[in-house]
Amino acid sequence: MAYLDLKNVSKLFGTVAAVKDFNLAVEKGEFVSLLGPSGCGKTTTLRMIAGFEMPDAGTITLAGDDITIVPPNKRGTGMVFQAYALFPNMTVRDNVAFGLEVTGHPKAEIDERVREMLAIVRLPDAGKRYPHQLSGGQQQRVALARALAIRPRVLLLDEPLSALDAVVRVALRGEIRKIQLDLGITTVYVTHDQEEALSISDHVVVMNQGLIEQLGTPEEIYRQPKTRFVAAFIGTANQLHGVVVDRAQVQFGTMMLRAPVPSNLSASHQVVVLVRPESVTIHSAAPSSNQQNVLEGTIQTITFLGPITRIAVDVSGTRVVADVTAANRAALSHNQPVWLAFDPEACQVMASQ
Amino acid sequence: MKKQNSIFSLVLIGIFVLYMIIPIIATYMFSIATKWDVSILPEGYTLDWYQTAFDHPYFSITLTNSFIVSFSAVLAGLFFIVPTTYWVHTRVPSAKPLLDLLMILPFGIPAVVLALALIRVYNFQPVARSPFLLISGCVIFSMPFMYRPVSNSLMAIDVHTLTESALNLGANTFQILVRVIAPNIMPGILSGALLVFATVFAEFTLANLITGASFKTFPLLLVEFTKRDGRVAAALSVISFTVAWIASLAILWVSGRGHKPTEEVVAAH
Repeated sequence: MAYLDLKNVSKLFGTVAAVKDFNLAVEKGEFVSLLGPSGCGKTTTLRMIAGFEMPDAGTITLAGDDITIVPPNKRGTGMVFQAYALFPNMTVRDNVAFGLEVTGHPKAEIDERVREMLAIVRLPDAGKRYPHQLSGGQQQRVALARALAIRPRVLLLDEPLSALDAVVRVALRGEIRKIQLDLGITTVYVTHDQEEALSISDHVVVMNQGLIEQLGTPEEIYRQPKTRFVAAFIGTANQLHGVVVDRAQVQFGTMMLRAPVPSNLSASHQVVVLVRPESVTIHSAAPSSNQQNVLEGTIQTITFLGPITRIAVDVSGTRVVADVTAANRAALSHNQPVWLAFDPEACQVMASQ
Repeated sequence: MKKQNSIFSLVLIGIFVLYMIIPIIATYMFSIATKWDVSILPEGYTLDWYQTAFDHPYFSITLTNSFIVSFSAVLAGLFFIVPTTYWVHTRVPSAKPLLDLLMILPFGIPAVVLALALIRVYNFQPVARSPFLLISGCVIFSMPFMYRPVSNSLMAIDVHTLTESALNLGANTFQILVRVIAPNIMPGILSGALLVFATVFAEFTLANLITGASFKTFPLLLVEFTKRDGRVAAALSVISFTVAWIASLAILWVSGRGHKPTEEVVAAH
């Protein structure tokens, strides 16, 4: 049995199922992200682990104990909230000490632990300050220190970075991951930000409408999305609708695409061919290589995104995007006829629905 | 146009202030006047009426009784209304409209009706006509004054998340209420306590009908004196104001101490 184990967990709100027959096994020391759009059930799942919601079915075990019906204040989970939720009437020191004080730890131990925790979150001198004297990023560090101070069996983070600005968000997510690795603490992280989830997790659980769409390492989720939802939700993917011809070919409009067709999809099956924009190269003359798939079209839009520029090309009615670096972008202009090329190995074929 | 407006509002405020303050000044003057019936200003000044008031055997008894009733009502508000309001806000939000309605009812029931109803329903010993029944009546009568400010304060803070984060850290309900929620809604609790104290301290009808002579409160003594000697009654009124002011100042002072960090913050910025 895994360290944190959710078995067949379901949760209804009225007649709406927020989480359906959810199964997840998290090993000790692992960092798992629950990723999905709002309303997908990720926060409800986290709140069931914390004990703020009771599952209508299924069991939750933590370190071998069945905690399904254990009240939240007896679970030993440390939670960090999106809105920080620091106690405004208490200093930083008292906030961090709170969990230890209410459970009756001796004062000397509390002082020592508070010092240690504030050092971990790199706010060693903030003890005497009040939450409203701190920036958002600092407040969230204090919230992290407070959650870690009780030495929780599992750390739960509910969109902890959503309220912060972009620079702080990226810096703090790196720190969270570093602290998590240093302490070796089992962590469940909820986010709707795919970049965040991919960058810091050992495993990512992509959720949609209360169900798990895919569970895998960030690489697997990105490179081999199992469903169209995952493909569309994680990064950007071109979706070319076509019909299976044989094990290696898909008919796309009048063109034939070479792509590895999975064995469960037989000839004349309606399929979607997925290609990431970074796998597509763009050429102002027809490429000579016949190893690649080549599509002909005209440039619709050119969007500058900083390190890359995204070119949208109209290929007989289908919009196909390609990412190019600044050097390759110079020669391109609006309405210009171009050729798009991509390797058959960059394609992923999945059923239409 | 704008200037005219501001003159108009100044005049309006002036009239309002005079309307509020003249009776207080007149009462105060009357309480220290030797004789004030034919002249514009009193003919002379004396503290004799205060002496008479203080010397009255019932003075300290009624004052003590009024304090007992007022403090009991405040304590009942703190121990029953505050936790109930918190509980409704966090656990049964669907019951909040019901509670809101319930808290308007005391305004709709005249004190006479409330008093007579309580006397008839609780017509058995040891409750009948006891100070306990009086205090209970005052708690009902004054509970909206505690409920409203506390409810508003709870709405102003993120009571759910604060409760959840305290729960998550292992705190029980009592610890959450005392250490997390109460300090963050202290201004509401204090203004509620102040309103309850002032209302109950000045309450006449319930005290007159429920306990009457067996447990006289300060307003009863005051009313008694208005029939006998208006100047002593004026002195008693001034004492009553003073008690209410001291109570308010005490509460403001306590809340000021609770808010000391805020001043430090202002200084820090």
